[in-house]
Amino acid sequence: MDMTVSQAGGEITRVVLDGRFDIQGAQEVDARFGELAEGSKALIVDLAKVSFIASLGVRTLMLSAKTLMRRGADMAVCGANENVEKVLRSTGFNEVAGLYPDFDSAARTLKERLDAFASRKA
Amino acid sequence: MSEAPARSCSRDFPGTIEGAEDAESWVAREASALGLGPDAEFAINLCLEELFLNAVQHGRANRATISICAEPDGARVEFADDGEAFDPTKAPAKQIHARTEDFDIGGYGAGLMHKFSRRMSYRRSEGMNRLVLEFDAG
Repeated sequence: MDMTVSQAGGEITRVVLDGRFDIQGAQEVDARFGELAEGSKALIVDLAKVSFIASLGVRTLMLSAKTLMRRGADMAVCGANENVEKVLRSTGFNEVAGLYPDFDSAARTLKERLDAFASRKA
Repeated sequence: MSEAPARSCSRDFPGTIEGAEDAESWVAREASALGLGPDAEFAINLCLEELFLNAVQHGRANRATISICAEPDGARVEFADDGEAFDPTKAPAKQIHARTEDFDIGGYGAGLMHKFSRRMSYRRSEGMNRLVLEFDAG
C-alpha cells in the first residue's frame, strides 16, 4: 500500500493511503504510523483511495489514535468509502477519531481544536 | 455443449502469517471471479482475514481450508482450521462506546463478522473448527 505524508497548514499532518489496508498493507505502513503518532500534533488519514480494510488495518489506526490521545494530540479520518466507514463505525473507532467526508472538513475541525487549545494556553 | 463456469472453489493454507497473506490474495481473486458483487467481496475478504488471523495468532492452528461456493442469492463460505476450539458465533460483539484512551486495540472481529455476514454457524468436528458464513450478493 502506498503511503504519502505531507504537512498541511503547519501543525496538521496529512497521510494519504492508496491500496488495500489488508495484512500486507498494514505491515507496510505500521512502523511509519507509529512514528507519526509519536510526533504529530494533529493527524488526518485520508482513506479516499483505500478500497478495503480489515482487522490489521483497523488495528494500525487504533494504535495511532491511542498514542495520539495519550499525547493530547488529535486524529481524524476522511474520505472512507461506504464499506470502510461501516467497518470503522462497527468497531466504534469513530468515538476516538472523527470521520469526515473529505480532507478539507477534517482539517477545518482539527484546526479549530488546535486554535482553541492554543488560546486556552495563552 | 458448453461447460458451466466453476461456482465453487477450495484451497488449503498453512497456519502462518504468510499463509494468511496468501489466503487473502486467493480469496480476493476467487470472490471477484465468482461475480458476487463488490459488497459481498468486501465482506468475504473482511471475515476471512479476521478468521485466519484469529486461528493462527490465538488458536495456534497449523492449517486452514477455505471453501467458497456461489449460490443464487449470494455465497456460502466455510473456514476450517485445526486450532484450539473456538466458536466465533458466541464471542461478544465488542465496540468502543465513548471517547476514552483506555480502549482495547483488538477483539472487534466477532462483531465485524456478525455485521458483514447474513448468517454464521459453527461446529467442531474431527478436531477442526468449522465455521460457515453466508453472504448476500451485492
